[in-house]
Amino acid sequence: MELSVALEGSTPQRAIARGAGEEELVRKAQSGDRLAFDELIRRYDRDVLRLALNIVRRPEDARDVYQEGFLRAYRNIQRFRFECSFYTWLYRIVTNVALDYLRRRNTRREEQAPPSSPEVTGRDFFDQQPEPAVSANPEKRLLGRELARQIRGAMSLLSPRERMVFELKHYHGMRLRAIGEMLGTSEETAKNSLFRATRKLRASLEAVR
Amino acid sequence: MRSQPRPGMDSKAEFGRAEGQAMPPCEEWQPLRILAASGDEVPSADQLRLAEHLAACPACSAEFSREEELLSLLAAHRAEPDASLLASCRADLNDALDREEERGWLRRFLEAALTSSWLSPQPAWSAAVLLLIGFATGILGPSLLVQRAQRRLGSGAVASARVGHAAGNANAGPGAPADKSAPPASMANTPITALDLHSADVAGISVAPANAGEPPRVELHLRTMQPLTVQGTVDDGGVKDVLLYVLRHGSQFHTGVRLDAVGLLLPCSSEPEVRSALCHAAQADPSAAVRLQAIRSLEGAATQDSVRNTLVDALAADADAGVRLEAARILSSLAANGQVPGDDHLRAVLRDRMNRDPNADVRFESAAAYRSLVPGGKE
Repeated sequence: MELSVALEGSTPQRAIARGAGEEELVRKAQSGDRLAFDELIRRYDRDVLRLALNIVRRPEDARDVYQEGFLRAYRNIQRFRFECSFYTWLYRIVTNVALDYLRRRNTRREEQAPPSSPEVTGRDFFDQQPEPAVSANPEKRLLGRELARQIRGAMSLLSPRERMVFELKHYHGMRLRAIGEMLGTSEETAKNSLFRATRKLRASLEAVR
Repeated sequence: MRSQPRPGMDSKAEFGRAEGQAMPPCEEWQPLRILAASGDEVPSADQLRLAEHLAACPACSAEFSREEELLSLLAAHRAEPDASLLASCRADLNDALDREEERGWLRRFLEAALTSSWLSPQPAWSAAVLLLIGFATGILGPSLLVQRAQRRLGSGAVASARVGHAAGNANAGPGAPADKSAPPASMANTPITALDLHSADVAGISVAPANAGEPPRVELHLRTMQPLTVQGTVDDGGVKDVLLYVLRHGSQFHTGVRLDAVGLLLPCSSEPEVRSALCHAAQADPSAAVRLQAIRSLEGAATQDSVRNTLVDALAADADAGVRLEAARILSSLAANGQVPGDDHLRAVLRDRMNRDPNADVRFESAAAYRSLVPGGKE
């Protein structure tokens, strides 16, 4: 493979870690190899952050979920028994952390000043995203922005669980059975969440297509 | 099962049907259609049935197309995490993991072994075990911590560094010139330990000009329990180890001190441990100025895999456009000279940056590097 060939030769530990397979990295991390764990982070952290953002929505909350998720993985990696893939195990941790976070946030909501709506503060994750394939054409850019706004609105109508199932299924390619296990529920429940999410999104976005 | 087409049925109007109206006949196929549009999760027993139905029912076939369209639309507008957010998350996590490592094995052992399910039913045994662990920790803990920290720092070199206790020494304050005439014997020479550095703050770095061809003399002023001064050239193990420690523990020290450390270590960037510390600073230092300086200092060693990976990571995820630009410039220069293997990851990062980086200069440099790697710009 081109990548592993490129990394051979001079063999700094990080390069070795980059060429290693997932199982090898996990075993090394279990034996206390920090570089191996760092490499696992590098492989999955973009997806973890996206998942966190899609569940908790606010970047500052997603940052906490991201950190807590990886710290829990680090503390508990000895308990990983290769019964599922590492990323499934990691996503399970992150989704649990995110759901706990949402629960705590809802509990605190009445004690603290309520967070302003994303529309008011503009701090929602999706508000900060550059338009994909930015066009020089202002009209196209405007249309793209409008479309992104409508997608944002449609996604915000989903419950956290529906958003999570939709995210894991469509953006992470996970099987419904694995999603169900991850959320501590059945495949059937995950399937129903996916149906509801898709129906809601269709209803919201029917006009824009 | 409905297998006949419904002539004249407008699927769009059907979809927008208000609640309370009769369920359209093909609604029963919607779950399977959604599953099919979502991937390969239709049970094998239903696959043929669904295919036959879609072939025979134009309304359902149109609905299926619309469901696929919807998912394509959402995939095309999938929001990616902001690169600056990702970079700062990585830096914070790195620090948190460092702290976690320092807490050591004892905490992990206790968490794993003494779960509440064991403690609560056997309180007497639990208390005895905890007492025993407490005694053992009190007796063995400090020496284990020192040994561990010394191992992390490379104890040999650090332990042999000669330091002067600044207490009572008028010249030893921050900013004071190095007292080259004072013989080491006049100072209370003691080895500097890893624990000194662990809790130290480098109050200042003074660099005395040297004769041509000689390395400059450096004086490091450490604020510890007792103020310390480390003197020597960068080639001296003690000085170098303190500078490396500063770079590896960026958040513990002032930005100016870290910048000085990068500058002083620049001539040694071909040494593996210096290169490693500079790579760490380039990736994880909280200050963009330090990261930029570290990236620049690595240019001479950019053909090394570790350095090249650092440059690629900086280009991909650094929050600061200046750092990304410098990384792109060095990679572009390497690519133009054929000094960088065009692996998939590098090409993907360059392609991403040339299309999506918010900074025009970064896009330009990334495109230049990409063109050098992929003549014609297409793979």
